[in-house]
Amino acid sequence: MVNTSPVLNTYPLSGYTFGTKEPKMEKDTSVADRLARMKLNYMKEGMRTSVEGILLVQEHNHPHILLLQIGNTFCKLPGGRLKPGENVGHLTYANFSYSAEIQGLKRKLSSKLAANSPALHPDWQIGECVAMWWRPNFETIMYPYCPPHITKPKECKKLFIVHLSEREYFAVPKNLKLLAVPLFELYDNVQTMSELGEQLIFKLELEIERVYVTLDLL
Amino acid sequence: MKPIISHYGRTCPHQRRGDSDKMREGGVVVVNGGAEDHQQSGGRGDNNGDGVAYVLDIYPLSSYYFGTKEALVLKTESVADMLHRLKANYEARGLRTCVGAVILVELFKHPHLLLLQVRNSIFKLPGGRLRPDESDIEGLRRKLSRKLSIDESTDDAEWEVGECLGMWWRPDFETLLYPYLPASVKKPKECTKLFLVKLPVSRKFIVPKNLKLLAVPLCQIHENHKTYGPIIAGIPQLLSKFSFNMIEAESYVLCD
Repeated sequence: MVNTSPVLNTYPLSGYTFGTKEPKMEKDTSVADRLARMKLNYMKEGMRTSVEGILLVQEHNHPHILLLQIGNTFCKLPGGRLKPGENVGHLTYANFSYSAEIQGLKRKLSSKLAANSPALHPDWQIGECVAMWWRPNFETIMYPYCPPHITKPKECKKLFIVHLSEREYFAVPKNLKLLAVPLFELYDNVQTMSELGEQLIFKLELEIERVYVTLDLL
Repeated sequence: MKPIISHYGRTCPHQRRGDSDKMREGGVVVVNGGAEDHQQSGGRGDNNGDGVAYVLDIYPLSSYYFGTKEALVLKTESVADMLHRLKANYEARGLRTCVGAVILVELFKHPHLLLLQVRNSIFKLPGGRLRPDESDIEGLRRKLSRKLSIDESTDDAEWEVGECLGMWWRPDFETLLYPYLPASVKKPKECTKLFLVKLPVSRKFIVPKNLKLLAVPLCQIHENHKTYGPIIAGIPQLLSKFSFNMIEAESYVLCD
């Protein structure tokens, strides 16, 4: 039985309103710090599970992906780590509860992109999971599978499509920039985009490949 | 307590108590923690995707059998001849559509992709070009039977074709491939569609003498454009959303 491809409606960037809110500082100032903190958390809580959202808008007839830029170089997808309590049951492999990860992603999206007042939060519509990445060691490299002989991965990250409606109000922390980056141009620009840091371009390439969606450009 | 027999006559030595009602038909709860299906937990009116985790059952390489049949006739044309042929075909029939099957087995607890090796350095997914009048699925089944089975049977049940994992586009006759159709390209020349094909617990593969059928681990394929080309090298990423339920070989162990 072949599933039909999911339809993702994308709406013009001009339909969205962008405000600001108080800064949200990064917890770590360097990659090394980040990995060290990850190690500490692992000792306490086990494998880190994180979720990220792929939010697409339309500009110049091309789909653009929303990215958060920290400082001048580092970009990331909106999302973050799930709290231990958000994982019901075992923390091994991909066994975190689906509804918990959806709730967790909504929480993260609101934290990074929504005004503080809950009444002004977008009604986040989370779509399908398009990718899952694994971190075998306390290093920056991640893989789209759990590498062989790795029985204790350090992190599992899931990426979800987020269905935006035509109008939304976003509030971005003052210290971050929200970019709308042409999705497909990233594929040809791996070299320049590699300054984005970490594995971002790595991950985004896979989105380009995996996001087999019919983009309904309105 | 009576033994718990799964659909294929195997019992699971690690069956958790109380899980028997959740066991999928034909499946065995896996030792190394494969994900379970999660049903959508009651709507709050939210659109929360389909609520089911993507789980793929894969079976050990050892549960499959391999034989040979007469060699396939392979084209031995120069690059120039091939380009000429592709252009002529495009003039006559338009967009060339190819299909490829992503078929997985388990080995050393890691998913392995089945690839055909042609002439020592060329690796291909089982598949090929569609005829003008056939659908993706029909064409894929035809090609799979031709490359992996005794003949081009018309038995629909032989190959279980799953979802389309991704598509690659060729804007021009030169070899550059894209995993999307660039908006500026109005007349693409070729499209390759990759489909997941699910294997039963066991089957016999009959492969033409002049092709080799390999089981290559995902970790070796990942990003290895140099050896496998962009389509095959991109497959681990296309599969990343799936959790693999690696089902163990047959055993008869009575539960306590």
